[in-house]
Parts: sequence; structure tokens; C-alpha cells
Amino acid sequence: MNVITNNNLKCTTALALLHDVYDPEIGLNVVDLGLIYQIDFDEDNANIICTMTLTTQFCPMGESITNNVTSMLQAGFTGYTINVNLTFSPPWNYEMISEEGKIFLGR
Amino acid sequence: MFITGINNTTTKTTTWKVVLPFYLYAALSFLAATILLFISSNKFLIHYFQPNTLAITHIMALGWGTMIILGASHQLVPVIVEGKLYSNILAYISFILAGIGIPLLVYSLYIFSFGATAKIGGSLILTALLAFVINLALSITQSKSQNIHATFVFTSTLWLFITAFLGVLLVFNFSSSVLSQDSVYYLPLHAHLGIIGWFLLLIIGVGSRLIPMFLISKYVNEKLLRIIYYLINISLLSFIVIFFIPAFNKYLFVCYTILFIGIMLFLYYCIQAHKQRIRKKVDEQMKISLLSVIMMLVPLLPLFIIIFLLTFSAQSNIHLLLLYGFLIFFGWITAIILGMTFKTLPFIVWNKVYHIQSANGKTPNPKDLFNNQLFIAMSICYLCGIFSFVLGILFALILLLQIGAALLIATAFLYNYNVAKILLHKPIKL
Repeated sequence: MNVITNNNLKCTTALALLHDVYDPEIGLNVVDLGLIYQIDFDEDNANIICTMTLTTQFCPMGESITNNVTSMLQAGFTGYTINVNLTFSPPWNYEMISEEGKIFLGR
Repeated sequence: MFITGINNTTTKTTTWKVVLPFYLYAALSFLAATILLFISSNKFLIHYFQPNTLAITHIMALGWGTMIILGASHQLVPVIVEGKLYSNILAYISFILAGIGIPLLVYSLYIFSFGATAKIGGSLILTALLAFVINLALSITQSKSQNIHATFVFTSTLWLFITAFLGVLLVFNFSSSVLSQDSVYYLPLHAHLGIIGWFLLLIIGVGSRLIPMFLISKYVNEKLLRIIYYLINISLLSFIVIFFIPAFNKYLFVCYTILFIGIMLFLYYCIQAHKQRIRKKVDEQMKISLLSVIMMLVPLLPLFIIIFLLTFSAQSNIHLLLLYGFLIFFGWITAIILGMTFKTLPFIVWNKVYHIQSANGKTPNPKDLFNNQLFIAMSICYLCGIFSFVLGILFALILLLQIGAALLIATAFLYNYNVAKILLHKPIKL
């Protein structure tokens, strides 16, 4: 699934960082799982706005996953404020899993 | 635009402080029940209505099955009803009252005394369940989403409350006649309300949500789940009618056939969810949970033979009745709990310990919080124990009953060890 962004270069770095944030139950990273919808960079205010979802609303691991996304982006982009926005519109579905993710789950 | 709107709904779930005491209580109850089963093995050759079997049944139904389901429900309510748990305080009240009431009731059953202790115990349990019903009802009411899973869970909780209410009436009926017949007469009704109304409906409601979720399955079939919901409730309601109008006894077969169709449709639902799963590798915990779906069918065999005998020869078979009860509590319900404990508890504790740390390979995986080798050993002990005890009941062999019970004690020890290992987990950095 393509992630929407206003800065392709920095988005690539951000996604590389988020490849190390895993859904602990599934064991797959949040990028390949298709949880990341959009990452925008507000250079004037040094803000990063990451819009993402969870596999299910009120997911018991939700808080942990969003905390990990925040800390990972914070570690990679020092000086920026990280805002993680959760959205359930559209809701996550299995079609959002990347091909790499499907291969991982199919093993 | 891909994103149609931002929803800032928080995803905070029920605090671990509410949930973990239920798990600990249930684990210890399971151990107590298996020890009592071993001590009472010889009683399984006589009759089902006696102090030891009543005590074991109630430890299993209340201390083990109901307590762990209440604990897991407090955690899973947000996932099922898609809304927050209404009140943590009501959850604590449920735990404390049930936690005190269950041993009082079980002890009274064990010594076969239905005085003040039994009445207080039963009333405490009933109040605990009332607190849970209110908590669940208010959680569903404040949730924006209504779904079939929530309907299953809420209906099952109402049946649980009715079961407990009848149970308390039966306790009072032993000392003062509050019912038209003696308490023993109402036992089949009490048992059916609890087994079908509470356990079966709840397990289907929660299972139909969690099984596809854990398997990451494409399969969704709300219409089928609605049909299953109506079939099971119609079956139970018709059983109640037949119970109070004995002239309709000949239709008991119809009532169980409806139930059988409902269960078979749920089996079909699980098979489809399994077939259409994205996640191909199924872990051991899910395998045991899926096995419990098949084990749901096993008690139906002795049940149908019992109904056949009752309908056509008016005879009841003590061994088959004992077998049916054993397969329900130690077979089906225990199998699903053994599997689901290790699909839920490690995540609750992991969330408690590591939720503010970065995942990035610096923390252990939730699955590393328990010993998987011991989990497999537990599963083997469990299956061998069930098999041996079932043969012991069927062939009236005390040695097989004792071997089966001993293996179930080993199962309970291994289960308790792994539960304690998870609960006592301290943060480690890798």
C-alpha cells in the first residue's frame, strides 16, 4: 500500500525506521502490515504528522504500537515534534498488507 | 483522497489491574479442581449427584470457567463491543464478591450443607454477576457500534445471571421450600442454562470474533452468526418449555437437533475462517483453541445417547451423564481456556511491562514470556489425562480414573507454572 506524503525523501527514511516497529501479536512490522496511511512533514514548525490505523479499533496492543511509532520517529528525526493520529477510516483490512508481509504470513 | 477522516478515538484498553486477578484466581481453582478430582476418582463410579462431584462441577464452572471468562471479558469487551469498559470499579466489585462467594459455595457443596454459608456464598456470586451484567450493558450502550458478537456476549451474560439466580433459589430451597419441587428436580435446568446459555453462547460470540482476528482471516459471515444465535436460543427456550411441560418430553430430540445444527454451523464458520486465513502458520495456542471447537462436538455423542435412552426407555445412564459433564467442563471448556490463556495473558502482561519502551528488538516478544516447551508438555498431559479419565468412566476402572486425574493435576501444575511465570515477569532488555 502506498503511503501518502508531502516529502518523499524523508518519508522513505521514516518508513525505514518504522520497519522496526512490530505488531507483537502478528510479528510483522507496521509498514508491511499496512498500518501507516500518511506521513507529512511540517518543516516550518518542525512537526511530523503520522496518520496510521490499527488492525482493530480498541486493539489491546494499540497504545504500545503507537508509542513505539512515536519513539522510533523521534529517534530518527531529532528536533521534530511527532504527532501520531489514529484513524479508522478507512478501516484496516488484509488487502493493505504488502506483498512482503503476505509472504511473511504465508510461511 | 485516500484518508476520508481522522478519528482521534483513543485505544486505551482495560487496565491490567482489573484483569490479572481473575486469571490468577482461575488458575488456582483449576489446580484445586484437579486435586479434588483425584481424591474423588472413586466417586465417578457411583452417581453424579453427590457432594464431591457437585463441588468439582462448581469449582470448574465458577472458579475456573467463569472467573477466567470474566477476566478475559473485561479485557476483550473493548474489542468485542468496540467501546471502552464502562467501569473498572464494577469489575473490582465482581472479582471481590465472586472471589469470596465461590469458595463459600463450593465448601458448602463439599460438606453438603445448605445453611448460611451456602446462602451467603451464592448471594455474593449473584451480586458479582449483577455487577458484571450492569458493566457490560453500560459498555455496550455507550459504544457507537452494535454487532452480533456483542449480542452473543450480552445474551450469554443474561443467561449466566439467570443460571446463578436459579442456583441461589436451589440453595434456599434445600432448607425452606421456595420452589414447587425439590432442588434435585431443577438440576438439569440449572445445568442447561449454564452450559448452553452461558458457556456455549459466550464462547461462540467471542470465538467468532477472535478466531478470524488471530488467524487474519478474510472470512466474514454475520448472517450465519445470526442464524447460529437464533438456533441456540430457540433450542434453549424450547428446552425450558419442555422442562416445565413434561407432556412435551417426546420433543426433546427436536430441541437437541436444533442445538446440534447451531453447533455444526459454528464449526463450519471456524473451518471457513481457517481456510481463508492469511496467516498460514498457526501457533500451538491457537491449535489447542481450535481443537476445543472440535471438542465441543464430543459431549454431544453421550448427550444424544442419554436423550435417546430417556425418550425411548425412560432410563438414565449414570456413566453417560458423568461422561457428558466431564467432557463439558474438563474437555471443551478447559481446552479453550488452556489455549486462549496463552493467547491473551502474555499480551496483557507485555503491555503492562513494555508499553512505553520501543519495540525495535529491545524487548522480548510476548510469546517469550512463557515456556513453550512446558506449554506443549501441558497439552500432552491434558489430552492423555482426558483420554484416560473418559475410558475410566466408560469401563468403570478406578485405575484409569486415577491416572487420568493425576495427569490433569500435572496439566494444572504446568499451567499454573506458566501463568505464574508470565505474571511475575520483570522487564528485561535484550
